Amino acid sequence: MNESLINPFTLSHPTAVQTSLFAGATFAKFDPTGRFIASAARLAFSVQIWDLETRAPIRWLDGHVKAITNIDWSRNSRYLLTSSRDWNAIIWDLSSPCDPPQRHGSLRFDAPVVSAYFHPKNSQIILALLATGEAYVCDLRKQNRSRIELLETITDEGIEEEENNGQGVMRSPMTVARFDPTGKNIFVGTASGSILVFNTRTKTMIARHKISGAGAMKGFDFAKSGRRLVSNSSDRTLRQFILPSYSNPPTDTELLEQSQPPFLDLELEPTHRFNDPINRTAWHAMCYSPDGDWLAGGAADPSGHKIYIWDISNDGQLASPLDGGREPLLHLHWHPTRSLLASTTNMGNILIWHHPNPERWGAFAGGFEEVDENVEYEEREDEFDIEDEEVQFQRKMKAEEEEVDIDTIVTGAQAAVLGGLGTLSGNMGGAATPIGTGPSGNYSMDIDKLGSGMGDDIEAAWAEEEPDTDIRGAWKMKVIMDSEEASEYY
Amino acid sequence: MTQLPPSSSQVEQSIGQQAVPSSSRNPNYSLRYTLSGHRQSISSLKFSPDGSMLASAGADKLIKLWDGITGQILDTLQGHTEGISDIAWASNGEYLASASDDKTIRIWSVEERDEVKTLNGHTNFVFCVNYNPNSNLLVSGGFDETVRIWDIARGKPLKILPAHSDPVTAVSFNHDGTLVVSCAMDGLIRIWDAESGQCLKTLVDDDNPICSYARFSPNSRFVLASTQDSTIRLWNYQTSKCVKTYTGHSNRTYCIPACFITSNGKYIVSGSEDNKIFIWDLQTRQVLQVLEGHRGTCGYPIP
Repeated sequence: MNESLINPFTLSHPTAVQTSLFAGATFAKFDPTGRFIASAARLAFSVQIWDLETRAPIRWLDGHVKAITNIDWSRNSRYLLTSSRDWNAIIWDLSSPCDPPQRHGSLRFDAPVVSAYFHPKNSQIILALLATGEAYVCDLRKQNRSRIELLETITDEGIEEEENNGQGVMRSPMTVARFDPTGKNIFVGTASGSILVFNTRTKTMIARHKISGAGAMKGFDFAKSGRRLVSNSSDRTLRQFILPSYSNPPTDTELLEQSQPPFLDLELEPTHRFNDPINRTAWHAMCYSPDGDWLAGGAADPSGHKIYIWDISNDGQLASPLDGGREPLLHLHWHPTRSLLASTTNMGNILIWHHPNPERWGAFAGGFEEVDENVEYEEREDEFDIEDEEVQFQRKMKAEEEEVDIDTIVTGAQAAVLGGLGTLSGNMGGAATPIGTGPSGNYSMDIDKLGSGMGDDIEAAWAEEEPDTDIRGAWKMKVIMDSEEASEYY
Repeated sequence: MTQLPPSSSQVEQSIGQQAVPSSSRNPNYSLRYTLSGHRQSISSLKFSPDGSMLASAGADKLIKLWDGITGQILDTLQGHTEGISDIAWASNGEYLASASDDKTIRIWSVEERDEVKTLNGHTNFVFCVNYNPNSNLLVSGGFDETVRIWDIARGKPLKILPAHSDPVTAVSFNHDGTLVVSCAMDGLIRIWDAESGQCLKTLVDDDNPICSYARFSPNSRFVLASTQDSTIRLWNYQTSKCVKTYTGHSNRTYCIPACFITSNGKYIVSGSEDNKIFIWDLQTRQVLQVLEGHRGTCGYPIP
């Protein structure tokens, strides 16, 4: 809402550190509503939830006995999924009224858990990756309760090669596993530098992309549309790919048995490669901006805290390097809607980067407008004519007859356009966004446009069977008052 | 004297402790209950967000909680050492904040019926207070001419805005908590960025009358402001233009809040210094109903 008054048309990337949180963290992630940050504590093996508005910790989640490897938020931030080296993944419910919050559920595996993610449409479907290189889809819904391992389909030639070695079928260990933003497909990166694509519903492999020269995959991030993927791999290069459209496996089980599932074996060529040509530093993390126009990369530079920001809408040019001081960077994450970055240092501090708006002192004077450059003022013909007060009053009353709309909520850019033009009502109905829908991605690029076919509906319907209880606006995090002693501490 | 809850069903109840729901487009409120109990003048009266409770506070240093449906007294909260000027409900109805002449803001747990926090910092009377939609922040204004934004859980001020050059008479957040509007006896209405604390806009009428109350419209695209020239104005703050004026009532001395009703039909409601409550049609600016029955000035006196 405030965007329209600040500066509606320049969306920019963060440029300066706004605050740092002394969290003792190994990494930190914003939640999808953008109100909180979850950080994994290095020593206590616990998770801290920070309120971004007050910049203070509001919850401590204790439950793991070894280092936490990943945190994922459910889509409306009610649930939190943590994975740990203690072989467990724990689901937390932040709407729980008790403090500290009790665990909502937990999953036990046979090896340290490297990462665990919620399905973007249903937090009862969980994708877990183990340190042994196996990935599991765990479905906690009553009707579908299952735990299925994702198995790479070995093509015929592959088998032959393996047989020549006399070792049977050998699968390359999986090193990354992520849902795409729609949850329809699962993308798995392997130690041999391939990206495997699985259908979430059927758990069958539908595509394999060999990425030449990449080495072991270390991380993925998707632009919000799901059309673009950036990968981090052991060759110290970030690669951006435009993903092909994947076919949907047939829904009918009979059909599935009869026909060979459609399979795409395709080498993907990156549209951009981002690396550090001089120092050849590796990357600890990378993250797209919410509109997908920027990509931030966190350098694994032992001598400093460096974040590189590339302008994707401008052919991937380096927009600016950010220097966050001497503490090396471990992780970074972009805010889901705003121009904010959270980067974690190896000393455990979370730096919050923002794009500062210059103070406009003209705003303090009523009736004044600051202009960017000199404007030649043209006096109206009748500007200083003496007018009858009665006529003036009549004109004002006439102008006030125009209807006003006091309860349709209009989001940022639209409000700015409407406000700027000074149109007050009448035609407002069409342009206004009904209450409840968030800011739409007006700024997305053409390549992000995703053709949604019939198949997507089937996948979405499957995921939304037995919906979870994470409903937008339907839960509240209770404000817990600090005791007086604790407040002295801060 | 009037303060409406955002939810609809109980709106009628709030008009000076009286109500019968209206069936048609025209407001048709009538007196349902008269609640008596305060020994000195009442300064603030607000329904809880779900309408189940009504809180009142006044110069007698007490906050009284009433049943929103039956009008029974539920409890009396005491603790302030001077008169109370304003109260505000947290959006979940669990907490109540009160602003007092003892220079403190106190947070009360409605469940425990007890004080849970005292916010110290204002250097003079605190005159107005409001929660943000997430209820983790509080904004207050007072006779020390500052607007303060508080972290409630820790009881610490996050920002102190040197907002005005006269006592601040009203301050509140917009519907998504990103903006704050404040107004003061210097006649200015200022809009602030809640996160950075930067001033984004200043609205002022040509005659510069004392501005006694301001709030955002439900969609935050307009600001409704009462001034002590017996006028209520609806401002489009993007264009800095006044789009509606509502007159007919009398308001020259006290800070009387004005409200939107959006439950059935869209109205503006405000108290008047001739012991009446006025209801205007939002669009036509006609007075639709005048409620009588109060003795003494309707609205709250400046302490």
